[in-house]
Amino acid sequence: MTNPIASLDRRRFLRGSSVALALPWMESLAGACPAPNEEGRSGAARKRLACIYMPDGVPMPLAEDPAYQDWSWFPHGSGKDFKLTKCLEVLEPLRNDITIFSGLSHPLVRAVHGHSNADQFLTGGPTGAVGHYANTISIDQEFASHVGEQTRHASLVMSTDGGTGTPRGSHTLSYDRSGRAIPAQHRPKKIFDALFVKRDADAAQRLAWNQSALDDLLAEAQTMRRSLTEQDRAAFDEYLQSVRETELRVEKAKRWLHIPLPEVDEDSFDLDVTPEDSRNYLQTMYGLMFLAFQTDSTRTATYQLARENGIGQSDHLAKAVGFPLSHQLSHETKEPGGWKNFGIYCSYLAEEYGRFVTRLKETPEPGGEGNMLDHTQVLFGSASSAFHLSRNYPLILAGGKAMGFRHGEYVNLIGDKAFGGSWSGGKEPWQQEFTHEDKPLSHLFVTMLQRLGVDIDTFGGSTGGMPGI
Amino acid sequence: MNSVRRLAVCTLLGTLSSPALAQAANDPPAADRPDFEALKASGAERSRYASKQPETSAGLAPQADLEGFRREVAPILSGACFRCHGPDRQRGGVRIDDMDPDLFAGEDVDWWLEVLAVVTNGEMPPADEANLSDEDRGKIIEWLSGEVQGASSARRAEHGHSSFRRMTRYEYDYALQDLLGLPAGYTADLLPDPVSEDGFQNSSESLHISAMQLQAYLEASRSALRSAIAVGDPPPTLHWGVHADQVAALEWKRQEEQLDKIRERHKDDPETLEKKLGDQLAKNEKRPGGAHYEELATGRFAAQSWHYSKGRFAWAPESSPPTLPKTGDTVAVVPRGRGLIIELGDQLPLEGVMRVTVEACRADLDHKGDPSLQLHFGWRASNDSRAVFRVSSEDHIVDAAPGSPQTYQWDVPMGPVYPRNSVRGTNKMGDLPSPSEYIKLVNGSLSGGPLHVHSVHVAGPVHEQWPSPSHTRILGTADEEISELDRARSALTGFLPQAWRRVPSEEEIQRKLELFERMRPEFTSFEGAMIEVLASVLASPNFLYISTAGPTEHSSDRDSASISGRLSDPELAARLAMFLWCSVPDSELASTARQNRLSEPAVLRAQIDRMLGDEKATRFSQQFVRQWLDLSLLDYLQIDGKLYPGFSAELKESMIEEPIAFFHETLRGDHSVLEFLHSDFSVLNERLAKHYGVDGVEGNHFRRVELDPEQGRGGLLVQAGLLAMNSDGKDSHPLKRGIWMLERLLNDPPPPPPPAVPEIDLTDPEIAKMTLKERIEQHRDHAACMSCHAKIDPWGIAFENFDAVGSWRDEVAGKPVDAVGVLFNGQELDGMDGLKAFLLENRQDQFVRALVHKLTTFALGRPLSFQDRAAIDGITGEVRRHGDGLATMVQLIATSDLFLSK
Repeated sequence: MTNPIASLDRRRFLRGSSVALALPWMESLAGACPAPNEEGRSGAARKRLACIYMPDGVPMPLAEDPAYQDWSWFPHGSGKDFKLTKCLEVLEPLRNDITIFSGLSHPLVRAVHGHSNADQFLTGGPTGAVGHYANTISIDQEFASHVGEQTRHASLVMSTDGGTGTPRGSHTLSYDRSGRAIPAQHRPKKIFDALFVKRDADAAQRLAWNQSALDDLLAEAQTMRRSLTEQDRAAFDEYLQSVRETELRVEKAKRWLHIPLPEVDEDSFDLDVTPEDSRNYLQTMYGLMFLAFQTDSTRTATYQLARENGIGQSDHLAKAVGFPLSHQLSHETKEPGGWKNFGIYCSYLAEEYGRFVTRLKETPEPGGEGNMLDHTQVLFGSASSAFHLSRNYPLILAGGKAMGFRHGEYVNLIGDKAFGGSWSGGKEPWQQEFTHEDKPLSHLFVTMLQRLGVDIDTFGGSTGGMPGI
Repeated sequence: MNSVRRLAVCTLLGTLSSPALAQAANDPPAADRPDFEALKASGAERSRYASKQPETSAGLAPQADLEGFRREVAPILSGACFRCHGPDRQRGGVRIDDMDPDLFAGEDVDWWLEVLAVVTNGEMPPADEANLSDEDRGKIIEWLSGEVQGASSARRAEHGHSSFRRMTRYEYDYALQDLLGLPAGYTADLLPDPVSEDGFQNSSESLHISAMQLQAYLEASRSALRSAIAVGDPPPTLHWGVHADQVAALEWKRQEEQLDKIRERHKDDPETLEKKLGDQLAKNEKRPGGAHYEELATGRFAAQSWHYSKGRFAWAPESSPPTLPKTGDTVAVVPRGRGLIIELGDQLPLEGVMRVTVEACRADLDHKGDPSLQLHFGWRASNDSRAVFRVSSEDHIVDAAPGSPQTYQWDVPMGPVYPRNSVRGTNKMGDLPSPSEYIKLVNGSLSGGPLHVHSVHVAGPVHEQWPSPSHTRILGTADEEISELDRARSALTGFLPQAWRRVPSEEEIQRKLELFERMRPEFTSFEGAMIEVLASVLASPNFLYISTAGPTEHSSDRDSASISGRLSDPELAARLAMFLWCSVPDSELASTARQNRLSEPAVLRAQIDRMLGDEKATRFSQQFVRQWLDLSLLDYLQIDGKLYPGFSAELKESMIEEPIAFFHETLRGDHSVLEFLHSDFSVLNERLAKHYGVDGVEGNHFRRVELDPEQGRGGLLVQAGLLAMNSDGKDSHPLKRGIWMLERLLNDPPPPPPPAVPEIDLTDPEIAKMTLKERIEQHRDHAACMSCHAKIDPWGIAFENFDAVGSWRDEVAGKPVDAVGVLFNGQELDGMDGLKAFLLENRQDQFVRALVHKLTTFALGRPLSFQDRAAIDGITGEVRRHGDGLATMVQLIATSDLFLSK
């Protein structure tokens, strides 16, 4: 590719053959991107969001199962009075920094196989079961569209498998406003370089000729405007406004060129680590996310720990706890010790999540009050609970106390209606009829967005928030 | 009266219907069917337009006839209306006695239009409330129509809606195709356009633009230009050659391995071995149901083997075309409805043309119908992610005799094919998820026999010429004698007038050349820089906006045009092209306009004829009908598969196509628009014909089918898709159907429901027991609901013989269908035949006028208002006097003052 604009081709991007960092549209225009904003750069105004996904559901032994007490993923009890099981007990020190939820799910795909539903975890979109595919914007991109201009990168999109994956077999949690998948980064080195290594020459060039093209459009628009009636001018001013806004963004983006990149010690990372080296890989990815936040390179990040259904390299993550592959643990719960094995894997994922949250908590907010966790919402969860069942998502929300979250609670909306047990043939759980309906997860998303400062009351087709958390 | 009138606001009835049992798809008994042709004739005689001569009011200074009102009209209204709509009572919130009778200057025009409508339609006064003699009714209508006509013309100068707007997404896509010689599909990333209150996407009132959209337009045009313009050397063409003999050899080997496995497993147990071997051999001799291979001499069979994992069924490409014997010992047999998968790995082109060449023939001569071939494209990356979809448009009819295969070929532009396997490039062949892709040859016929495939040759990207003809057309040919700047100038001088629909000024060309010079150093090639310059031409408001204002300084004839309020010829050409092609003018239209000849009536008519005859006019049928009838409802239709097992995605696709094909047939033949209400023909394909129980239609293409009168399937009202999209997926939905018909066909939308609509108590066992019609009647008794529902329900009830997929039924849940609706004025509509008869006899004018209204709204790209009313009436009168032909209607609209004016 000798043509420098080739790297901007969004169609190619979407096909996953590009390895550039996935960023919303201004990124593609400006190369290095959005604009320094004095107010936004002061620590006091910073609000952040991280969303992390684990695939394949969680242990849900039946109440009469001996494994129930120790290896149910969901805690026992409710409200402030709850007991973490061995799946989550690693989070006990963070008890007052998290809220655990049950009984929430997105309504549109409850009757679809759970392995198809990572795509809509952050969107609530109508991704369906087969055939025509559509999705909607994800919560992180909604947030990024409001704050993305204040940082060098509007968002950071990561997954262990990388790229977009396939429809209903997503390798990314992030979807743009048209519902198109935003390719995720999976190589730590690439992420590090994109965040912290200078690449301004290209960007400067591209910005310069974008500026020229926009100047032309503006001149043509002004000529046209003169010939319009008063009434048409009013309508046409939208176009002028759009050109001007775009120019303004290019202008702002240019300023980034002169703002030095944060200095980061590359040696503290093993940037060539692969998912085979599971624990190191997860810690590296979380570490990059932490650093991106700490340097205010972005305010929002998503990380899909693994794709659904145990295909590809992310299936090796369970090696960290002595199992060859991860996904089959969710299928082998009928075997002796099956719930425990699956639980040990989930506890490992919770441990690394907890490590990230703890690190945020232990780091003072740069230029602000309290610690970084107070200003960061960290969502962790999956789009299925029991075997292939897309209901009662397992969910943990940490941080954001400065945005009004109380924490220290288990919001147990499912109570004794939780569906569990191993699958023993016949109709799969997701194919069965349910009398109990979950609450829409988007209510939580609306509240999260509102507390992030986004003026919104509808998300993913659901209106209204979730007060009292 | 322009408030938002949407159904569904009143959704309470939507939850009521109990699932009805689907009845057989037979149509109604024809015993007492009305003579629709006679009704058309007698209805036409009642037209108030029939005798009227074109208005010649030029000399009269128009003013309100208040004296006439006081003398003639007020006494009649007082006697017939004031009791319910006067000082004492205001039924339905309407009071007439204090309305200002001055339509020229008064404030009550909208109310008077409502009075005119209900009196003309015979909806008021209700038969049991007051008496209105035909003579008195005539007096009201005559006076009101005259006033409306005069006042509407007089108010034309008032501030109305402007036609100034940007292109819609589909127009932008068509325009890119026409300008750049590309296939469709470069605008997938643009946001969908909003739909205006009156149902149209091309309405100036709703087409906004934001910075994000501007960027999306820029990206779309860049990516289209990159497809149209060749940069560098042609990418090498890869070839895949697969012959049935080759594949079969692998299948025979698999069978042998299978037998060996059995021999090995049971080697110690001769008895079992013999039995198992026998079973397996017998299985191999049985013809499989799916696609399979057959050794013609021996009658040996092998089912097609295919599995996605590790891409082990993929054929590897070669750099030169394969040599494939025309025939061989073996054939691939593709039975009806089945498909043959040819997996091709991860090298199929992302851009450019994929050419698929198939040697195929009929498998036998026993079947009456021919098999047909469709090309599907697909991939399966893992057990949970896959896609497969048709990429061919019309089926190839395979009529070659058995043993004498013929060549069937498709050229598929791969750029717009979506979704592709998105792990291509990230994963290698053999990985999971697999990056491999395949084609599938599907026998798409519904009644034909199996077909034989002898060989398949896939090549891509195929380029007949490099650079492509459109590349050369846009950029010219490279010539060392000519400087790059001169080449850029010559390209821009050719491209700008096409894109901007006018002659650019020297200054404008100069500005683009400066842009080129600034871009050029950043790019390694001339083409690369030109792509950027041309992208800016296509993101310019001069391309994006359909202006009727023209550039101020540059057009010499603009002043005279602007004084007269007429469009200049280039503006007229642009409006015409948007109307009939949903795109920009072609070179003939543009040059006619440049010579200022387009507005000559004869020239204009000839151009309209030419444009309607062009293939691109199908876009008009497609886009207009889709918006007019709101076919997007079908996109979202979810039919309950348990209640309607025969419903399929393919049937739905045909349902969407039917009204468009029917409209296009009517347009091409200039048939009367009354055919939309009832016709003795349909435009069907085999799938729909089967759905309707119409015999003798073979193949997946749409064609005109003459109907027996007793089949009763003529016209829009009985088309399955339109009935289905106004159901709730389980049962019919009279309310939706009624509102849809009033809104879309009669342009008489009912008012929105009042804010406090009471819920229906479904837990009440008495209500749960009722039929739908009984429930509706019960609901209608509620005072808050009555006035609207009396206007809606009877129409919808007349459709009750059609279930949720538009099939005929005589019973609903064990009770006979009651499809008798009674209009507010006591008029009975006895089922579909009764409804059609009533419309043909009493509402011809209303329907024709409604269609003129809708078509003109679409043609102008703006909502119509009171000022346009006289013109719409004028056009309607002309249409009616010329025999109601659809092409005639389009002609009259496109030559009307309204269309020719700003």
